[in-house]
Amino acid sequence: MAQRAETEFTLDTAAELAAVEGGAAIRGRSPWYLAWRRLRRNKVALASLAVFLLIVVACLLAPLYANHVAHAGPNDQHVLGTVNVNGKKVDIVSKGGIINGKLVASIPIGPQWFNAGGKFVLGADRLGRDVAVRLLYGGRNSLIVGIGSSMICVFFAILLALLAGHFGGWIDFVITRFFDLFYAFPVVLLGIALGSALAVNGFHHFGIDLEAGNLWIPTLVISYVLIPYVGRPLRGQVLSLREKEFVEAAISQGARPLRVMFSELLPNIASSVLVFFTLIIANNIVLEAALSFLGAGVQDPTPSWGKLIADGQNLIISRPALALAPGVAIVLTVLSLNVFGDGLRDALDPRAKVKVEH
Amino acid sequence: MKQTFRSKWLLIAASLCAGLAVLAAGCGGGGGKETTTSAAGGNKSSSSGKAFDNFRIAYDTGIDFLDPGLSYTVQGWSIMWNVYLPLLGYKHVNGPDGATLVPYLAQSMPKVSSDGRTYTFTLRKGVKYSDGTAVKASDFAASIKRDYLIDSPGVGFFSNIVGADDFAKTKKGEISGITTDDAARTITVNLMQPQGDFENIMATEFAALVPANSPSKDSSTHPLPSTGPYMIQSYRPNKQVLVVRNPNFDASMFDGNVPAGNPDKMSIDILGDAGVALTRTLKGQYDYDFYQPPVDRLAELQAKYADQIKVYTPANTFYYFMNNRTPPFDNLKVRQAVNYAINREALVRIHGGLATPTQQVLPPTYPQYKKLDLYPYNLAKAKQLIKEAGATGADVTVWTSNNTSRHAPEAGQYLQGVLKQIGLNAKLKTINAAIYWTTIGNQSTKSQIGFADWFQDYPHPLDWFDVLLNGNRITQTHNNNYSNFDNAAVNAKIAELKKQPSLTPKVNQDWEQLDKMVMEQAAWAPYVNEQGIDTFSSDIDLGCYVFHVLYQFDFATICKK
Repeated sequence: MAQRAETEFTLDTAAELAAVEGGAAIRGRSPWYLAWRRLRRNKVALASLAVFLLIVVACLLAPLYANHVAHAGPNDQHVLGTVNVNGKKVDIVSKGGIINGKLVASIPIGPQWFNAGGKFVLGADRLGRDVAVRLLYGGRNSLIVGIGSSMICVFFAILLALLAGHFGGWIDFVITRFFDLFYAFPVVLLGIALGSALAVNGFHHFGIDLEAGNLWIPTLVISYVLIPYVGRPLRGQVLSLREKEFVEAAISQGARPLRVMFSELLPNIASSVLVFFTLIIANNIVLEAALSFLGAGVQDPTPSWGKLIADGQNLIISRPALALAPGVAIVLTVLSLNVFGDGLRDALDPRAKVKVEH
Repeated sequence: MKQTFRSKWLLIAASLCAGLAVLAAGCGGGGGKETTTSAAGGNKSSSSGKAFDNFRIAYDTGIDFLDPGLSYTVQGWSIMWNVYLPLLGYKHVNGPDGATLVPYLAQSMPKVSSDGRTYTFTLRKGVKYSDGTAVKASDFAASIKRDYLIDSPGVGFFSNIVGADDFAKTKKGEISGITTDDAARTITVNLMQPQGDFENIMATEFAALVPANSPSKDSSTHPLPSTGPYMIQSYRPNKQVLVVRNPNFDASMFDGNVPAGNPDKMSIDILGDAGVALTRTLKGQYDYDFYQPPVDRLAELQAKYADQIKVYTPANTFYYFMNNRTPPFDNLKVRQAVNYAINREALVRIHGGLATPTQQVLPPTYPQYKKLDLYPYNLAKAKQLIKEAGATGADVTVWTSNNTSRHAPEAGQYLQGVLKQIGLNAKLKTINAAIYWTTIGNQSTKSQIGFADWFQDYPHPLDWFDVLLNGNRITQTHNNNYSNFDNAAVNAKIAELKKQPSLTPKVNQDWEQLDKMVMEQAAWAPYVNEQGIDTFSSDIDLGCYVFHVLYQFDFATICKK
């Protein structure tokens, strides 16, 4: 048992593992297998992954919930509608005005949990839309933007890092200055500037036609502004690897640049890339929420978690669930991804200092 | 929340600032009685005997300029109403009488020639600017010229003055239609055509007098000398405006038309959040909250602070414009379908309940208003009309702004949902409020349908029909006729009524008919007239509260308990 405990998080190499469990058993196992062994012993990281996957699955099942439980789509409005709550008809958005000499505000119905047959579980918004339905659909959009932008961001960051690190010289200079240029602007401000501009007329250049309101716009904006934050640390790793003997050996054997970059260098930064990818998803979900909250991300009436918080802020006192529900969803998602990302980093390369900062 | 209104609508509700007092119910009255000394060192303050040292206001961020030639927002005009006086102005009183024009810097109402084209004003004797220099008749001509030189958004109001268009092109010489005589203190204005609302235009801030040597540039942060009971001491954009008494103002010279005001000073702090402004006002850190309280807090206001609020109905109309030049809204049936399809009761709830449904252009505060019921909610009929028009499946973009205080985002989303219901393929485009009006007012945008609202510039039907619905006034940019509504019969009727020198019962009846004529053509889809709430600290005596038909709450006549 003592040996078992020792292997929890400290065994970094095949040699160490072999010393503990026997060389024959470990021989031939890949670094990925070793990482998986370490990861699966990190219960907190796995639990976080489970939470994240649960959120993803719930969001993917949004149409099922909308059609068979709530019986309303994410944009179905019921301003003048009523709903049966424990056998009583209740206005989804109450009447307002000066009633009996008193000032009364029109307020949407609050969380009904399961008193209304699965409808308006988390209440309604100002347009009488079901908040729970919009939360799930909004989650889908936030995840699509978060994961999509992370994939694009990491792809270009890898490409630029490999080019800069491998070739050096003026190519490195140009790419590094490009990174520096972006570093000069606060990420959120740059995102707001680009997002706001594209929110008016969309993007219609280089044969690409993206209408305002298209989810590709926040996805591309977020990926674009974060490329340097992933690319620069990766470039540093590539520069370091470029001087290693195995790279020089490959070059001396006539390997072409593409082969060196993608067969020698890329596999050696893969673990960092994977960790970056996990962490940047969480980062991008938060950034999407911030941009959408400020009107520079996902556009009305498409829901996203940030958009839902913005919609709910004006009713934060009387209907706090409108803003709290998407807020909690963001916290859970980001927390689970970050904890899992940390676990992944510990499993893949415990010495690595991989984190997203801006 | 009272926010920046788009150009041309603003005048509206300005109330504010400066000071005067007297009149209004409960506030005492009588002119000329001196009380306290002003913070600026001047005298002749409140004539009501209810002067107090400082009126603390929590303001929103909507001030565009504090230059009378440039400002075109409620926020700007509210402050400047009692700072920069025009030749004519409005009574500082509650109710419909507030729409009555009275002489401000002019000693009497103008003499109008029999053909209605020549207006002659005589300046009051002995009026001085806050810097001590005398106000001269020639300052009027210089002030109008300055409007052109600084590209004022109000120059369109003066285009009927002979020579104004020529001056607009050359920006040199004089405006031939304005002649002044400093010695005789007379100002003569010649118009190309009779104009029924010309006196109202003479009461706008754009016609306020400033010294002839005022710089031809924005002077917001270096306030110009004023003629009113107050002067702007300092303005730090997005931070604070300090308004103090004008030491050279003497209310007794104005026959009670321009009261001296009760506060010796108004410190106007610009805050960025309606909730914060409300909380601080209720705690007594401010005396008045310029913002509209969040709907979320109305229950709290009613329960705990009912005696600190005033609900009012300003003259406004919220509507959806429909571009008559762009399919499918070039088809009358489609425009009528939209009118039938929107449920105005739903839009009242979207406005938090503080609104009344409407189906016409003029708001109910107008004497020319006669309730129309042309388009009761009928979704089936709307769908049928769309089919008859052959517009089913037509692509439509709904434009709206992100101005939450005007409920614009929700109104846009509601309309998009409705248009989809009646068979149109509607998309939504929400853009920043700061660029919304200029964007949809640009013909190149080809905006099809969307959110709009209008708060009167002055209490006259021409400010609605001529400015918003006259096909002869459609422009390429800065267009106010977002519907591009151009109906020959309507245009002719506007031209005819424009010549009427006064609003007699017969003329008012004609305006009623015009309202109906416009709505039969479904130029717009009007939906609500919005109400507002003024919130005060517990120190304020609301017995002094004056709600002006045009400028809304009059800051100057308020008093403390």
